[in-house]
Amino acid sequence: MKKIDRRNFLKGGLAGSAAIAVTGTAATAKGAGTFGGYPNSMGVLVDLTKCVGCRTCEAACNKEQGLPEPEKPFNDTSVFDEIKHGQKRRTSEKAYTVVNRYEVEGREGGPVFRKIQCNHCQEPACLTSCFVNAYTKTPEGAVVYNPKVCVGCRTCMVACPFYIPAYSYSSAINPVVKKCIMCYDTRLKFGRPPACVEACPQEVMVFGKRTDLIKLGHQRIKENPGKYVDHLYGENEVGGTSWMYLSDVPFDKVGFDTHLGNEPIISYVKEFLTVVPMVLTIWPALFTGFHLLSNRKEALTKEEETKG
Amino acid sequence: MNRLVGRGFQPIASHVKPDGTRWSVKEKLLLGLTPREYMAVQVRNPFNWLLWLIYAIGLPVLVGRFIYGLGWATHGSYDYPWGLFLAWGLFTMVPLSASGFMMGTTVELFGRKDFKPIERLGLLNGLLGYLFAVMFLQVDLGQPWRLIYPMFVSLGPAAVLFLVAWHVATYLSCQVAELVPAYAEWMGLPKAKKAIKSIVLGLTVAGIILSTLHQGALGALFTYAPGKVHPLWYSSPFQWFHFLVSAIFAGLSMLIVVSTLSKWFLRWRCDDNFKKNLDTLTVGLAKGAALALITYLVIKVIGIAHDNDWEYLFSGWGQWFLFEMTVGVIVPLVLYTMAVRNDSAKLARFSAFLAVFGIALNRLNTALITFNWKLYQEIPHWREVVIVITVYATYIVVYRAVLARLPILYTWKERN
Amino acid sequence: MGGRTRRVMGVAVVVAALGVSPHIGRAAGGPAMVELGSLSTLFGAVPFDHAKHAGLAGDCAECHHHTLGGAPVKENCARCHKANQPAKSAACRECHPAERFEAGYMATVAGNPQLYHTGKPGLKGAYHQKCLGCHQAMGGPTGCEDCHSMTEKGEAFYRTGKYAPAAAPKKGGH
Repeated sequence: MKKIDRRNFLKGGLAGSAAIAVTGTAATAKGAGTFGGYPNSMGVLVDLTKCVGCRTCEAACNKEQGLPEPEKPFNDTSVFDEIKHGQKRRTSEKAYTVVNRYEVEGREGGPVFRKIQCNHCQEPACLTSCFVNAYTKTPEGAVVYNPKVCVGCRTCMVACPFYIPAYSYSSAINPVVKKCIMCYDTRLKFGRPPACVEACPQEVMVFGKRTDLIKLGHQRIKENPGKYVDHLYGENEVGGTSWMYLSDVPFDKVGFDTHLGNEPIISYVKEFLTVVPMVLTIWPALFTGFHLLSNRKEALTKEEETKG
Repeated sequence: MNRLVGRGFQPIASHVKPDGTRWSVKEKLLLGLTPREYMAVQVRNPFNWLLWLIYAIGLPVLVGRFIYGLGWATHGSYDYPWGLFLAWGLFTMVPLSASGFMMGTTVELFGRKDFKPIERLGLLNGLLGYLFAVMFLQVDLGQPWRLIYPMFVSLGPAAVLFLVAWHVATYLSCQVAELVPAYAEWMGLPKAKKAIKSIVLGLTVAGIILSTLHQGALGALFTYAPGKVHPLWYSSPFQWFHFLVSAIFAGLSMLIVVSTLSKWFLRWRCDDNFKKNLDTLTVGLAKGAALALITYLVIKVIGIAHDNDWEYLFSGWGQWFLFEMTVGVIVPLVLYTMAVRNDSAKLARFSAFLAVFGIALNRLNTALITFNWKLYQEIPHWREVVIVITVYATYIVVYRAVLARLPILYTWKERN
Repeated sequence: MGGRTRRVMGVAVVVAALGVSPHIGRAAGGPAMVELGSLSTLFGAVPFDHAKHAGLAGDCAECHHHTLGGAPVKENCARCHKANQPAKSAACRECHPAERFEAGYMATVAGNPQLYHTGKPGLKGAYHQKCLGCHQAMGGPTGCEDCHSMTEKGEAFYRTGKYAPAAAPKKGGH
């Protein structure tokens, strides 16, 4: 029978708790309240009614970001017929943005074209899930990535509700995440719009302060009664995104996930994160208590035995 | 070895040989056999032939993963970043290794000394399981040489994986420390053993805290993908709790499985203390597992009710879910209860195999099979399967090597 | 001067006035051809047949809004611009900026809270939305090279022509 020697317990408990203290304080989440975004952060409003699927944005991104040669020329529209695993095109390690075509029944203007790229969320799931803090939400609005600290766990890819981050699986030595950074390093930092926005001949995209773009989006809906779906996609989805969309057909018909809800992804994890400090504070006392109780019983039995 | 022991060979169980001289470390490593005898034993063993075949195919593929990259070795894609390495190696092996903190708690904290014969096996199962989970992680990480980054280079403390990383590292140290007494006995280092004994309570409490949180955290990882895991396998508030409670009966069931395999295949190494008590202990473990199973079942049902997912039960995925719950939870629960009622270790053992299968199925379902249920189904690359088998075979080899030497299945005889 | 001479001179003046005042009313045509080349980099200048399009449109306001002095086409616009004076110039580039998202221009827009047309497209957007928009509705040409041919820079940019990628696409990938 082991007596609870205060010294021994403290020795052991201190050793264990010291390690835990580091991890424990680290895992607490900021409590209530959501991050409304930096006050002057920029955004992009994408008006799907204007896109004609010319793919100039893809070419501009490829050039600006120094991406590798594509499989097909950028003015080749046969890419819109590509289907892989039953899915249309998506971003990849070689293409930070892609355009897809959606045939919508009954739409007079022909098919709808949608540009896909990182939406630069206000509370990005990639950022909140990264355990090496590789992502940063810049005050300018872009969500950027630091490949120098990335370990390659790919949790960000699991977390992103829009399935945006790609990974350079082809590299054995330095595989990293690949995604749109809103041309932060070369343009946004200096107050200039991303390459795709500037290149678009139809001016599908409007670059400006996110708060202004929300107003502009709703103004366009209001001034064109019956034209647009009365919803600015990305205004509130998963806590709000910097890239927002206007459409004249229901969003789920053109590849948007309309079941994402307005909570940032971190909200789904907060329930567990709040349990962490509870366990760290309650468990030591609770289980030491159990030990004392069970030991007491043993001590009593031993006493009786020796007496008898 | 069983044959040798049958012929009267005595496995090493103390520092001194029958003639009074001390065993050397080399002799201890070779189990007291001459090198030639040892090789003969290894060559005769048919299981080793299987292992050699696995390594012949698997080792080049494993090396290839590091030379050619993940793109060559896996079907890892942008939509499916996690494959079999994590689904099996991390998400399945970690709950099955929960026996470490279960046995530590049972014996040292709750004072149930009757479980002492199986305690060390539980601790070893825990240590090796976690160690190899880390091996699997290293195989899966894009840049495994950066494993220490979340500790020392760039910290992201709000992330659940941060907690997992720190806890697994700390907990591994705990488990190594908890097994130092066994190693100390074998190597003759009494001071080390004494040092650990003085902090064993602290280690145990630390182990419970760490295990609770990281078993739960592995579940919480999936709360980052609310739309991607099928609703029947997903529950935002309870995911961590599902994973924690299932880890309890996973660890206990795996311990029953491992003790059974040890009884069958390492019979020569088990001493009377172990063999005599094993059946009773198995039924005892079954009791604990049954309690954890019923708890899990209830919380699972509550989870479905909470999100109002009843309709999904009638779909194709629902049938798959019901299969998993039946074979992996309800049947083991019933069988364990019957085993306890009838004091049948045999029934408990059969149930344990089912429960382990059920855990594996649940984790594979959550991480791989029902992941992206709205998209297409991803089938792992054959190279992934080969690598998983190879690393798991290594786990078995190390397991067997330790069990054959350290006083886990037998009691070390200290000098009189 | 005799009465007959006066009449002839009067008619001549009227004819001359009509001839030299292209901005008066709808009867005048404007330039026959306009070369739209201020934004040419990836594509060459557009040889725009203004006379043909003026005839097709009927009303100048279809393209020039109210800048020629008449009422705009859309009712909503007419609420404010019904009786506008003609603008200094009806050329698109006079109002639609070439650098739509340049910081200075955006600051001007942001700094003018009374400004209504905050969403005014830049020149490139105005050209394409106007031209393509009408072409799509009326069945005109909608291909990029139907209106302007690609330059060498354009071929490099779009990775086409002699800059096209190698024929065989690579297998595999994710």
